[in-house]
Amino acid sequence: MKGNPRSLLRNFILEMILYGVLVVAYFLAVLRFLGEPLMELYESSLPLYAVAALILIVAQGVVLEWVTSFLVNLLGLERLE
Amino acid sequence: MEFPISGVTVDPLLLVGIGFVVGVLGGFFGVGGGFLAGPLLFWTGVPINIVVGTDLAHMTGKSIVAAKRHRTLGHVDFRLGFIMVIGTVVGVEIGARLIEYLEVAGNVDRVVGVSYIVILLVISAFTAWESIRALNMIRTESLDVEDVLAFRGITQRMHGIRLPPMISFPQSGIESVSLWVVLGVGLIAGVLAGFLGVGGGFIRMPMLVYLVGMPTHVAVGTDLFEIVISAGFGTLTHALKGNVDILMALVMQTGAAVGAQIGAVSTRYFAGPRIRLAFSVLPLIGAILVIVRLLGLTGGGGIH
Repeated sequence: MKGNPRSLLRNFILEMILYGVLVVAYFLAVLRFLGEPLMELYESSLPLYAVAALILIVAQGVVLEWVTSFLVNLLGLERLE
Repeated sequence: MEFPISGVTVDPLLLVGIGFVVGVLGGFFGVGGGFLAGPLLFWTGVPINIVVGTDLAHMTGKSIVAAKRHRTLGHVDFRLGFIMVIGTVVGVEIGARLIEYLEVAGNVDRVVGVSYIVILLVISAFTAWESIRALNMIRTESLDVEDVLAFRGITQRMHGIRLPPMISFPQSGIESVSLWVVLGVGLIAGVLAGFLGVGGGFIRMPMLVYLVGMPTHVAVGTDLFEIVISAGFGTLTHALKGNVDILMALVMQTGAAVGAQIGAVSTRYFAGPRIRLAFSVLPLIGAILVIVRLLGLTGGGGIH
């Protein structure tokens, strides 16, 4: 394992806090700005709703992890890899 | 909090908590966790059709996060995952048709329920027995290894099948195995998943270890990659039927995403047999939940 295990663990906890804040902010943003449009889409067009649902859940997984990695690198924290 | 799409009122913190627990289990064991999240969501008052679709949606997001983390740790064999998914898709379709046939014949809940319990108990008992033997081997022979199998008979037989084309999977340390073995493992896991109405992670992970001969850590990561594809497909098909409350899935995902990363990173600190020994408890919990439901103790009906 590269680096000091104790500092790697601390970095991981910091990364998880950062990631957790981003994930919650993402959900609140979706709820605030997309809550009603999603509801309308659900009632009017299920195919479009299905695609939107998949994009939102994939975006949460991919984009937020990417943003977190970017911020972690920006802060100069070594990652657990 | 009221979720307008499903019209259900649920405490969001409870959903975050369920997501977190299932996320840790998923990241550590390479399972979707539907066997646990499903009954818990149903218990909070979410209708069963929304439970299935929403669970698949959050499973997709959580598995992406966990698989990405496992990839950085070198634990995902994409080549094997892509090949196996073909067998899985065909298998799920066969399993679903078996269910339709049983529904016409009647008694579907009892047949599926009993099959589910037997399969889960066999997986649990075998994995526990093998991993304890493997741990004893490491201790008595003072082996300095990350992973060891105490039961290689089935793996050797599988690798002895020389039906072309033969392929290698360097990421998993497999020099040569028949393509049909990998497709067959995907097919069997798919049939069981489609037949039992589950994601199949807890069936596929031990099959990858014991039949294909993958190291446990790589089996966990590759299984998660497989779940991304199968659960993503399931999310689309269920959303088309109106069974996905994406806002509820996103709330669950807030806990699951963090939990999945913690679970995935934790695998670094455990040897393969230890992961398998801890894993053996999961099918047991799944079997108990099904027994409780079959006995009607929760009032939740049968398996489907």
